[in-house]
Amino acid sequence: MSRVSSWRGALVLAALVALPALPFMSKFYLLLAFDALLFGAIAMSLDLLIGYTGLVSFGHAAFFGLGAYSTAILLERGVVSLWACLGFAVLVVGLYALLVSYFATARRGIYFALLTLVFAEVVYTFFRYTQTFGGSDGIQGVPPAQLVPGVAIDTPLANYYAVIVYLALAYALCRVLVTSHFGKVLVAIRENEDRARFLGYNVQRYKMAVCMISALLTGVGGALYPGRSAFATPDLMLWTVSGEFIIMVMIGGLGTLGGPIIGGAFFVLLQEQVSSYVDWYFMVIGLVLVFIVLFMPRGLLGFRRMLGFGQWRATA
Amino acid sequence: MDYLVAILLPQLLHGLVFGAALGLLALGLTVIFGLLGVMNFAHGELYMLGAYAGIAVIGVTQSFWVALVVAPLLVGVVGAVTEVATLRPLYRREPLYGLILTFGLALVFREAVRQIWGGDMRRILPPITGSTPLLGMTYPNYRLFLLGASSVLLLAIWLFFTQTRAGIVVRAAVQDAEMLDGLGVDVRRVFTLTFAGSAALAALAGLLLAPVFTVYPQMGVEMILLAFIVVILGGMGSMGGSVVAAVVIGLTQSLFSLWMNPQRVAIAIFGIMIVVLVVRPRGFFGREGVLE
Repeated sequence: MSRVSSWRGALVLAALVALPALPFMSKFYLLLAFDALLFGAIAMSLDLLIGYTGLVSFGHAAFFGLGAYSTAILLERGVVSLWACLGFAVLVVGLYALLVSYFATARRGIYFALLTLVFAEVVYTFFRYTQTFGGSDGIQGVPPAQLVPGVAIDTPLANYYAVIVYLALAYALCRVLVTSHFGKVLVAIRENEDRARFLGYNVQRYKMAVCMISALLTGVGGALYPGRSAFATPDLMLWTVSGEFIIMVMIGGLGTLGGPIIGGAFFVLLQEQVSSYVDWYFMVIGLVLVFIVLFMPRGLLGFRRMLGFGQWRATA
Repeated sequence: MDYLVAILLPQLLHGLVFGAALGLLALGLTVIFGLLGVMNFAHGELYMLGAYAGIAVIGVTQSFWVALVVAPLLVGVVGAVTEVATLRPLYRREPLYGLILTFGLALVFREAVRQIWGGDMRRILPPITGSTPLLGMTYPNYRLFLLGASSVLLLAIWLFFTQTRAGIVVRAAVQDAEMLDGLGVDVRRVFTLTFAGSAALAALAGLLLAPVFTVYPQMGVEMILLAFIVVILGGMGSMGGSVVAAVVIGLTQSLFSLWMNPQRVAIAIFGIMIVVLVVRPRGFFGREGVLE
């Protein structure tokens, strides 16, 4: 990783930290910024799978939703420590992801996408119809989590900073991963799975590992969500939400990490902006998606970069 | 015996009726998958468009039967235009782009319908009323018609693919489009017409099932998942497999709902699919190497 890009990263981080100081940053805009960064981070963790490994997960909404439910369940029952919530979410999402990734990574291409989709639908259906967890209403009105006893993360500002910490750590982890040997093997799997196998790599183990990492990052993101919304509903894990995550990655640019963050933020802001003017914003989003696939398949960032470690990296 | 006639038999018939209609939907999906390598996420929306186009045509002509002919043709045209405008530029790209493109198209179609017709649930009245005594029970006539129509259509499609030159060309394109191109067939036209045909089939299924179910903009979202499961179970790209799997899913669903809360049935069906994929990764009739 070049020195230039770490400087740029530090600058972006500083700007994000300073953002709430701007005079027009009301509570509303802080929450919008929270969403933008949270979904940006989730899109980035999905990019590890789609952009770097070439595995299209259509079930990331389940990881997100399970994280959110884990937190909401604990908060509702009076366990308000943020660390307990995060730990529980990691445990729940981790166990589920282990199961999914074991079965899904055994298959390639479209089968992987559909298996993740079907597993996610099982989770969705379970929460949708289990009254213990609120059925279709989900878990509403949970109290805020506490960083340490007595210090609650209960303001939009506190939540905003929590999500920045999450985003920064997740980005650093992903960046280290994709520049490491591990990341290079992932790209090799994407480019030619058989060749990677013949070179002696245990392809399925690599795929499972990257699945787990991506799922856990998404799950932690989900675990932060009830802090902002005070709820967890089954709609968070509808399969169309998984589709939206993929859209975010595509908008930003596959295999760039930074791109999907921008893509996620762009998607959230677009939805917010368009929906405040017209009620047919899904059509706008659909058209934007069609436009991007047809005319800029490398996404917003991809204009400059080739997919993954193409020529751009070779010359950088 | 009473249990058999009063509960089990109608439920079995329900399952068969639903399975046959589901087969129509899954068939279009599996042909497109074999042809373009694209899992068409907008297929459920074409199914939904069929029902709404039916409502529009019925509104003008007051006749379900006219709608049954005109609505699939209209949706077929929509399909052809969509294929030429959006899918054709993607032929040489990775299938992933087609998947995501059709997801975007699905959003556009769903929202367009919601804007035109509103988001409310609608009903289409069955054009055939009354019921027939059958094996000691009475069964609604429309459902019998539905079963008959779906079976005739499935048979017609089978004859098309095995007996006509056009059908054989489509199958050849599924096998090896490049070779077919080399033999002088205009493959792009085959793709467009097949997509239009698959759209028309989905629309037909949508309109046929509309009097049994309700019509609303999200109706495709739920059906498409079942259709995906059918296509996977039957074996990707296997047309016969899709029909068999559709009937199996239809029967399973209606039988399980006798003993389980209907919502749990969904989980049971997902469970069956996962088990099949683990035990027989290529589904019932899948061939080796289809897009793996």
